[in-house]
Amino acid sequence: MHVTKEFKKKTFLKQFLLGLHVSNSISNPISIQQRKNSIKLSADLAMAFARGRTHWTHALITKLGQKEENKSTLKGILGRRYEILMARYSCPLLYQKVQRRKKSVRSYRFSYNAQKRRSSALKGSCVRVSPSVVARNLENRRTKVLKRLVPGGELLNGSALLSEALDYVISLKAQVDMMKSLWRATQVSSSSNVELVPSAPLQKKDASCTIANSEE
Amino acid sequence: MSSRRSHSRHSSASRITEEEINELVSKLQMMLPDAPIRRNSRVSARKVLQETCSYIRSLHQEVDDLSEKLSELLASTDTDSAEAAILRSLLMQ
Repeated sequence: MHVTKEFKKKTFLKQFLLGLHVSNSISNPISIQQRKNSIKLSADLAMAFARGRTHWTHALITKLGQKEENKSTLKGILGRRYEILMARYSCPLLYQKVQRRKKSVRSYRFSYNAQKRRSSALKGSCVRVSPSVVARNLENRRTKVLKRLVPGGELLNGSALLSEALDYVISLKAQVDMMKSLWRATQVSSSSNVELVPSAPLQKKDASCTIANSEE
Repeated sequence: MSSRRSHSRHSSASRITEEEINELVSKLQMMLPDAPIRRNSRVSARKVLQETCSYIRSLHQEVDDLSEKLSELLASTDTDSAEAAILRSLLMQ
């Protein structure tokens, strides 16, 4: 897990900075809200790239690519890779399937249970539903919210869902930490802008040392 | 692909043991912000699920806030100093 984290930092930064640059250089005056969405998109994309190939990163990138409002920023960030990546990460059918599957699973289970009830009513005994179905119903009810929160969670169950959720939480935490440190660094520089910009290299070194110390 | 996955789940459902799930639950518990040291006793899986959900939500909110802060900051400062700061933080990682 440590190796993954190390990997993550550099890749995340590279990707996020690229995204920030794109967000910043959009020429026509855009609202803070729009720039914020662009930055958020950059952060999520960077997080997904930094983590590598998992179920949730795939789902996340797919989701990001599908939104109309994201397309221009994505094109700016990905450049030539945009076409290739969007081809890889476009499974609209997947999500359509999920929607259909959700409905059909529910209706199937409902009709299955109803059938059981009907047949056992005829036999005059109490409802006999197989324990695995009961267990799965209970599990699904409990993990409903988690499924919605974890990208791609709707398609997973049981231990797969839990391990994806764990991975996702770890990556989210790292994303937040990186964004925080970046914000702090940008804040410091903008507040003490006047002293630092004239290129006295010693001064710059001191500043960076203090920032490093405060980070530790 | 997803159908294949569900198929294998059906057949391998028995192979996913209680142990695996308990291990994952305890790992999740350790990730949560509340001191895991306090919880020597096992917390119910349901609690862990609930707290994980609220933790994910709070992390999402933090990302949102940070994006807004960065957006304001980038709008007010000029690009050069912002990028210089960013490069500086890169060098320090």
